[in-house]
Amino acid sequence: MPKYAMVIDQRRCVACMACVVACKKENEVPPEQFRTRVVESTEGTYPLLRMELRSELCNHCDNPPCVYNCPTGASYKRKEDGLVLLRKNRCVGCKSCLAACPYDARYINEEKGYADKCTFCEHRIKEGKEPACVATCIGKSRIFGDLDDPRSNVSRALRENHHEVLLESAGTKPRVYYVKKFSKPE
Amino acid sequence: MELTITGANAMTSPHLHVWDWRVSLYLFLGGLSAGLAIMTSILHVRKGGKLAEGDRAAITAPIYVPVILTIGMLFIFMDLERKLNVFWFYLTVQPLSPMSWGSWGLLVFYPVSILFALATLPAPNRRYLLIPALIRWSEKLQRFKLQLAALNFGMGIFIGVYTGVLLSSFVARPLWNSAILPVLFLTSAMSAGAAFMIMIAQQKKAKLFFTKVDIWLVLAEMVMLPLFFYGQYTSSGAHRESIMPFFTFNHDYFWYGIGMLLLLIVLPIALVMKYLEVHEDHGEELTPVALMKMNVSALMVLAGGLIIRLSFVYAGQLSHLS
Repeated sequence: MPKYAMVIDQRRCVACMACVVACKKENEVPPEQFRTRVVESTEGTYPLLRMELRSELCNHCDNPPCVYNCPTGASYKRKEDGLVLLRKNRCVGCKSCLAACPYDARYINEEKGYADKCTFCEHRIKEGKEPACVATCIGKSRIFGDLDDPRSNVSRALRENHHEVLLESAGTKPRVYYVKKFSKPE
Repeated sequence: MELTITGANAMTSPHLHVWDWRVSLYLFLGGLSAGLAIMTSILHVRKGGKLAEGDRAAITAPIYVPVILTIGMLFIFMDLERKLNVFWFYLTVQPLSPMSWGSWGLLVFYPVSILFALATLPAPNRRYLLIPALIRWSEKLQRFKLQLAALNFGMGIFIGVYTGVLLSSFVARPLWNSAILPVLFLTSAMSAGAAFMIMIAQQKKAKLFFTKVDIWLVLAEMVMLPLFFYGQYTSSGAHRESIMPFFTFNHDYFWYGIGMLLLLIVLPIALVMKYLEVHEDHGEELTPVALMKMNVSALMVLAGGLIIRLSFVYAGQLSHLS
């Protein structure tokens, strides 16, 4: 069984927003709503400034608070591959998952009313393709693959680079990893 | 400092608050009906039912419970984005979701409160039920009044706690993620229930009894609120930040500051008024002035409960782990 994960190599991101556009097009995300975003933040004081470009999306957590808090079982974690998905027909739009997600990864689809989110383009994975954001990334900043396969791109990226997850203290065990540093683990 | 962001959260786009006044009103009215259920049970059990004798509240209070709950449920229903899917709440049990066990709990609370209202209906008033089957039920349930009072009391506690657990289970929202919150909400619910009871009770003995009860409950609230803020302040950075809207008097957080000021005014004044009401020599009957004072202090307690729900629901969504 695959164990899908994504690595965001922040060193390679140029914030072109192609991933955001590709995601919106692929998943028919309504205007002004997003399944993924690129946060641009600056640190320091002028003139000593540094900018961080950080792609954010659903972390497909192994301890997903959105799934635990869903009152109808509409949000679920698929056993086969660990993807956090939504049974749209069951969603009542109570917004419990929106409040529960520490990554603000969910939104109410204004056209359909359900609590939508990134699915790692599950429909594309089924066809053997990569998620739309990964396929379109010009800097190869987004890497997708099977964590259980040591030869996969994600396994290699995690093996060869220091990496971290967002809000580790929340205990959600995310499956989206971030590579920030220019050095290898010792 | 974040320069640009395409994300959608309450901090960057305040209009994207996940839950709004409808949820606040649901939590307030749900809490009020739970508190009233507890107080109604006490009214009928206290001194072997002597406290309830001859008081109109003994009949009306149990009826108010499901009515207030229905209005509260109407608000949460209004908040659902896909209303026609509401039946899914009752086709599954999600043990880790407070909203799931809350919805099942409400399904038990409803019939219990209605059965208790039927059981407490005195024989001369049963004719108002109109339907013969209901009248028969009311007669039969009379024998189980004590058991139903206990069940009503228990369910009241459950729903009162649930309104707080609903918020406190979110690790993502540091303001809500506190074990004190369910206890605070339960206390506030019971206090609101006692205040409502004071307003609908007719007799002096019942009014004064629930005033005494409310003094202790308001006092407990006034102890718990600072403890809650102290706990948040001495916790992690995110928890400390989460309470800042209440103590930062700038234009961003104006309403939270006002809410805090109102709580600081309303609750102590209500407490002092209640204390004076209990210690005043009222004579045989309560004077119109004394009645007005009792109603004003009760309204203050109800307003305090509403302010707590409104400010906590909104401020919680501003709080964030990062």
